[in-house]
Amino acid sequence: MNSIAIEFYKYHKTSIKALVVIFCCIFLSGIKTNAQNVSASATLDSTTILIGGQIDLRIEVSQPEGLKVNFPVFNDTITKSIEIVEKGEVDSIKMDNDRIVLSQLYRITSFDSGLHYIPPIKIEVFDGELKNMVDTDPLSLRVVNPFQEVNPEKGMFDIKGVQDSPFKLSEILEYIYWVLGILVVLGLAIWGYLYYKRKHQGDGKVFIKAKPDEPAHIIAIRELDKVKEAKLWENNKIKEFYTSVSNILREYIENRYDIPALEQTSIEILSEIKTSAKIDKEIFDQLNQVLELSDLVKFAKFEPLPDEHALSLMNAYFFIEKTKENLIKSLEEEKDLMLEKEKNSNE
Amino acid sequence: MEQSVDIRELNERIKNESSFVDLLTIEMNKVIVGQKHLVEGLLIGLLSDGHILLEGVPGLAKTLAINTLATIVDAKFSRIQFTPDLLPADLLGTMIYSQKNEEFIIKKGPIFTNFVLADEINRAPAKVQSALLEAMQERQVTIGETTYKLEEPFLVMATQNPIEQEGTYPLPEAQVDRFMLKIVIDYPQKEEEQMIIRHNLAQSFPKASSILKPDDIIRARKVVKDVYMDEKIEKYIVDIVFATRFPEKYNLEKYKEMISYGCSPRASISLSMAAKAYAFIKRRGYVIPEDVRAVCHDVLRHRIGLSYEAEANNVTSIEVINDILNTVEVP
Repeated sequence: MNSIAIEFYKYHKTSIKALVVIFCCIFLSGIKTNAQNVSASATLDSTTILIGGQIDLRIEVSQPEGLKVNFPVFNDTITKSIEIVEKGEVDSIKMDNDRIVLSQLYRITSFDSGLHYIPPIKIEVFDGELKNMVDTDPLSLRVVNPFQEVNPEKGMFDIKGVQDSPFKLSEILEYIYWVLGILVVLGLAIWGYLYYKRKHQGDGKVFIKAKPDEPAHIIAIRELDKVKEAKLWENNKIKEFYTSVSNILREYIENRYDIPALEQTSIEILSEIKTSAKIDKEIFDQLNQVLELSDLVKFAKFEPLPDEHALSLMNAYFFIEKTKENLIKSLEEEKDLMLEKEKNSNE
Repeated sequence: MEQSVDIRELNERIKNESSFVDLLTIEMNKVIVGQKHLVEGLLIGLLSDGHILLEGVPGLAKTLAINTLATIVDAKFSRIQFTPDLLPADLLGTMIYSQKNEEFIIKKGPIFTNFVLADEINRAPAKVQSALLEAMQERQVTIGETTYKLEEPFLVMATQNPIEQEGTYPLPEAQVDRFMLKIVIDYPQKEEEQMIIRHNLAQSFPKASSILKPDDIIRARKVVKDVYMDEKIEKYIVDIVFATRFPEKYNLEKYKEMISYGCSPRASISLSMAAKAYAFIKRRGYVIPEDVRAVCHDVLRHRIGLSYEAEANNVTSIEVINDILNTVEVP
């Protein structure tokens, strides 16, 4: 076995020597030291980031005291695809064994997805004059794109969907004082406006005619009875008679139909009655007769015949009777009325 | 029905005397398409001896209306275009030296006529406006040392253009009061406008005939004065006018600060005269509340002074009058 090995060595002596030299070279190149024991390293926080994400690149140089080293000068980028966001100052830490460690921090980012190579970073070492160059290890950084690639042929779409933002009471709490302030100012403005308006428009009273408690026809018939008892036309007070009768009718119309008859002329009243109150032609004609004749007596010194006085009064009664409001009474009210009637008849 | 003697006689008289009203209206309508309110206003002014202030945009037949009225009444008519450089002498007349007679002679101005159209009265300066308004009120003009009476009937219809305000001299309130009526005219209806186009395209303009003499109008005016107005109607007119002065007493407190001044007694006189004329046009011998209400807007709208507060609240004199009419009790 040994003789075979000796024979093999004899034949391949030159090749073996070359292999040993190559192996030694490869082994020694992995140790980043030099004659002055200056070593450099570069490290990343993470080897993978999302596109646009940021990580720190730390460059450290360990050297004996008294040596001067120059850190590399980058402008905006480390490589074409890796950008510098923030550049830190060179920091030094003194070690126990008469050595110091210098470090510099770079915050970097990338907007290109894929695997990026960071080449060795060269550190210049001076001892009076340039002595040596120390390289860091090369590094790799993977930049991941989490979004779907936009393909214009497939059409445009949102990178992200619309995000729901549920309402939270706490969100408005910081504005609550502003809101309260605005409300107070608004309240004061409205109060001021109302105060000014009231002051400049008297007491701000709105004239509303009081609605009588009794039904319109009860009042009207009672008033007509009074006119009848006063025997106005019999005493030659014809104008007073027609003025009273027409006024009673106008007041009745106002209360019964909510038509402002007291402030309207006869023609206006008749026109409004015709449109708003659906009454028979016969009843309408009777009202027309009273109002027309009253106008002639009141404004044209007209003197009707005695029969016409009686007719006018009768027509006034008739109009009220035919147009009176049908009031629905409850059973209790009907019962009370009947009892009262019975009591009165017994007395 | 038996009527009292006075009214029956009066009604008969009015029926006879007012028969021309229908004829006059027919003649006016031959020439003027639409504008019934304007024609009615002209008649009221003519019959109640009052002057008319007309407000409306150009081209609404204002000149044509008064010209036609002059033709129908067989009266003289002149139109004066008021301009900023107009002088009172241009309107009233002046004395000029006659070389032939070697003395000053009177040259009468265009105001010496029956019907005057003072076009765009607010374009002339105050002294010309005053000269016209004085003549309107006094019915006479003094030139030099001689006073001349103006011919009867004398009716002035002045126009104001509501669009242009630049370079105008608005009539003072006191002078506006001298106009009996202020009529606001609006555009014609669609059918009326169509008729106007046809007339103009065919160049066939109907002509009004002369059916009256100025004396007929003077006689009719006397009858209008005789139209019976009951005490109740007088009170109604007084109530309306007082409501413009003291709205708070008529449950119209809201207008207390909005009306700076109410209507003058001249408004009461004009309202009663116009109501009588309206009753006459309707061929009635007595005034009813409808007559008062029919002329109330035209008589009062230019006599109510509104305050700044009313303007700020976009309250117009028409709204005030409407509210007054709806509040004051009708007799």
